[in-house]
Amino acid sequence: MRKITLAIAASLLFGAASPAFAADEPENMIKYRKAVMSAIGGHTGAIAGVVKGEVSFVGHVEAHARGINEMSKLITQLFPTGTDNGAFKDTRALPAIWQDRAKFDAAAQALQDESAKLIEVAQGGDAGAIGAQLQNVGKACGSCHKPFRAEKK
Amino acid sequence: MFRPALSLTGLAAVLGLVAFGAAAQTTAQPTAESVTRGGYVLRAAGCLSCHTDSKNKGQPLAGGRALPTPFGTFYPPNITPDKDTGIGGWTVEDLSRAMREGRAPDGRHYYPAFPYTSYTGMADQDVADLWAYLMAQPPVARANQPHELPLPFRFRALLGIWKAMYFEPGRFAGNPAKDATWNRGAYLVAALGHCGECHTPRGALGGMDGDRPLAGTAKGPQGKKVPNITPHAKEGIGDWRESDTTFFLKTGFFPDGDVAGGAMAEVIDDGTSHLNDADRAAIAAYLRDLPPLPGP
Repeated sequence: MRKITLAIAASLLFGAASPAFAADEPENMIKYRKAVMSAIGGHTGAIAGVVKGEVSFVGHVEAHARGINEMSKLITQLFPTGTDNGAFKDTRALPAIWQDRAKFDAAAQALQDESAKLIEVAQGGDAGAIGAQLQNVGKACGSCHKPFRAEKK
Repeated sequence: MFRPALSLTGLAAVLGLVAFGAAAQTTAQPTAESVTRGGYVLRAAGCLSCHTDSKNKGQPLAGGRALPTPFGTFYPPNITPDKDTGIGGWTVEDLSRAMREGRAPDGRHYYPAFPYTSYTGMADQDVADLWAYLMAQPPVARANQPHELPLPFRFRALLGIWKAMYFEPGRFAGNPAKDATWNRGAYLVAALGHCGECHTPRGALGGMDGDRPLAGTAKGPQGKKVPNITPHAKEGIGDWRESDTTFFLKTGFFPDGDVAGGAMAEVIDDGTSHLNDADRAAIAAYLRDLPPLPGP
């Protein structure tokens, strides 16, 4: 009984039930977030190679699409308050993320939806159809980057 | 594919006269083919991004989108065929004079935020088709908003001087030493696509630097860095293959899997993603053949 009470108290104190990102150093948080974003970019870059016809690994696209889809589910956890580009120079995350969090979360959801569709399309093995759906994935990326990511200096 | 530059037409344009070959089309009803081709010209010329206030859910081409620049904030006008607030009363000659000479039907000079400095190269047929397309769109009643410009830019008359200094009117002449693909690419980049309006550095008074075409700038029209798109190995896009460029123009994906943001995302969404593969390939081939320049 006491153990349970302690556990509840701990979870209230540290938010253990939700991802404990508040405890992570913001610099490390930003570094990790960029690594996850790069992973998504790596997968889209790999699919692009297939769509452009540079490599013939049409059968690999599903794996890359799953990679994007899995990573997209993590995005909303990666942006704790205060990790914007005003507070830290190593990030392009705009304060707008926290000013319009609902829109931000919806944009992240859009990437989940479009990448899930890409998995389905990839199973069909048609490079043209994959290219078309990859474009929709790109639009989902862009619809979040445009309002929420600063342009490169 | 290209008409040779008619020196007489060029001369007439310099003198501010209207010598438009397709004058007879003013009264003729535009054909369905012309409207279709004009829709394509609209995409290649990137009209939608500036003439639509997407942010505030404005109607397509009805204008009003704020365009902040170092010279003030411009509000591109309504170019739907509404008789009172749009361009419903315009003839094809009016459109030609606006796009290729930078003058309104009443003779006023346009600010070069409207890229007539590039559109001046447009072929007669493209102007005629674009007019046909615009006139076939639903009219939207939306009054134009005055630009918000500090002194001295508020004085439109000064634009005459600016144009005399920096504006070189004239149709795209092409380069007979190059093949049709290169020439098509050059036309799309320099005239319709008006790529240099952002990617070419400008002088203090906003004239494009003719010695550094497409070499990028630290402070673009919206105050942000615009990349060098010459094939310079380190500072340009020398490491992009033509397939990288065409794919980017179609999808917005960089070779490293990142996606374009900012103004370029609009250019792709509203413009280059709607072009055919041959035109995107022509743009890529032309860019690949530019003199590589360092910078910005």
